Amino acid sequence: MSLPQPVIEFLNNNAASMGVPQVDMDLDLFKSGALDSFALVDFVTVLEEHCGIRVPDAEVIPANFRTIEDIDRYVSSRRLES
Amino acid sequence: MNPFITATGSYLPARVVSNEELADKIGLTPEQIFKSSGIRQRHWASPGEITSALGQAALKNTRVSVEDVDYLIFGTMTSDRFIPGSAPAVQAALNLREVPCLDIREACCNTLYGLQIAKALVTSGLARRVALCLAEVQSAFLKLSPAAGTTSMLFGDGAAALVVSSQREAGALEIVDVHLATDGKYVDDLGIRAPGSEFRANSEPQDFEPRMNGQSVILQASRRMLSACQVVLDRNSLSIDDVSWIVPHQANANLLTQLARGLRLQDVSKVVSVIEHTGNTSSASMGIALDTLRRSGDLKQGEFILMPAFAAGFTWGAALCRVV
Repeated sequence: MSLPQPVIEFLNNNAASMGVPQVDMDLDLFKSGALDSFALVDFVTVLEEHCGIRVPDAEVIPANFRTIEDIDRYVSSRRLES
Repeated sequence: MNPFITATGSYLPARVVSNEELADKIGLTPEQIFKSSGIRQRHWASPGEITSALGQAALKNTRVSVEDVDYLIFGTMTSDRFIPGSAPAVQAALNLREVPCLDIREACCNTLYGLQIAKALVTSGLARRVALCLAEVQSAFLKLSPAAGTTSMLFGDGAAALVVSSQREAGALEIVDVHLATDGKYVDDLGIRAPGSEFRANSEPQDFEPRMNGQSVILQASRRMLSACQVVLDRNSLSIDDVSWIVPHQANANLLTQLARGLRLQDVSKVVSVIEHTGNTSSASMGIALDTLRRSGDLKQGEFILMPAFAAGFTWGAALCRVV
C-alpha cells in the first residue's frame, strides 16, 4: 500500500467517529459508514494534499474511493496521468 | 451609506411532518433520515395554503407598517402560478400601494439576491423601504417513494420576510456587503426542468420533480460556500475570528458541520441552525434562521454576521451584516 499515513489516519479517525472499529484493505468504506458523501469531500482534499494529485470534480464519486484498494489504484492512475 | 435590515419575520405552517411519519413512505428509517440530514421534522402546508399566503404571514410577522413599503421582492421556486409570480398576490392581499413587484427565482440563494437588489435600490434612492418575502411550498412537488426518498426527506415549507431601508435604528442589521457568483455548467445537477420551454415538447413526468446530483451538490456547495465567505471576509479586511454568527442556508446539517470545519471555527455554536425542526426550506431557510437569531436576543451591537448560501445553477454567495 502506498497511501501516505495522514490519508490512512483520516479514514481511521472518520471511521472511529462513526463507530467503525478498524479500516482494512477491502472494507467497503461507504457501506461501513467510514465515509459518506460529506466526508468524501474532506477526504479528497486530504488526498490531494498528501498524494500530490488533483482529483477532477467529476471523479469525486464513491466508486473511486469505495475501499482502500480502490483509493490506492485511483491515486496511482492519477499519478500516471499527470 | 449602507442600508439596513430593519425588521425580520417568519412563518411555518401548522402541520408538522416527523421523520416517523415520512420514513415508511420513502423507504428509510427515521434515524437514517436524521443521520444523513440532521432533520427530525419539517412543516408542510395544508391543502389550500399557497406560497404567497406564507409570504404574507411572514411579512405580517415583521410588524412593519406595510403602507410604507415602496418595493416588493418575492423569492421562491414554488410560485403560486407560473406567470405572474407571487409578489402581486402579496401586494393585493396586504393592500400595498401600487408598488413595483418583482419575483426572483434563484432558489436557495434568493435571500442573498434579494438583499443585493434591495441594497442597490435603497442606496440608489429608487426605493426607501423594500420588503423581501421568501417562501416555499415544496411539499406539493415532492414524490413520496423510495426512489425519491433522499430528496423528499429534506424539504419543508415555510417563509421569511426581511425589510430593508435606509433607516438606521438600534437592533437593525447593516448590510455591509453581498457577494454572488454563478457557474451555469451545473444547470442539470439541481433543479426542476418542467414546465420550462426546453422540455415543452418532450417532458417526462420526472421533469416536473426535483432532481439532484447529490455528490456534485455536496462537493460544490462545500467549496463554493467556503470560498464566498473568504471573498467577503477578505474584501472587508476581516478574519473569521471577527465574525460572531454564521447564518447559512439551511440545506443539510452535515453541510453546516462541514462549513464550520472549513472555516476553522473554534466555536461551532456560532453557526445558527434551525434545520432539525424545519427541514430545508430553500428560499426561506436563511431568513428563518436570521429571524430566529434576532428574536433570541443574543445579538449584540457591533457583531458581524456572515451569511453564505448555495443554490441551483449553480449559484452561490455570501452576505456580511453588522448589528447596529
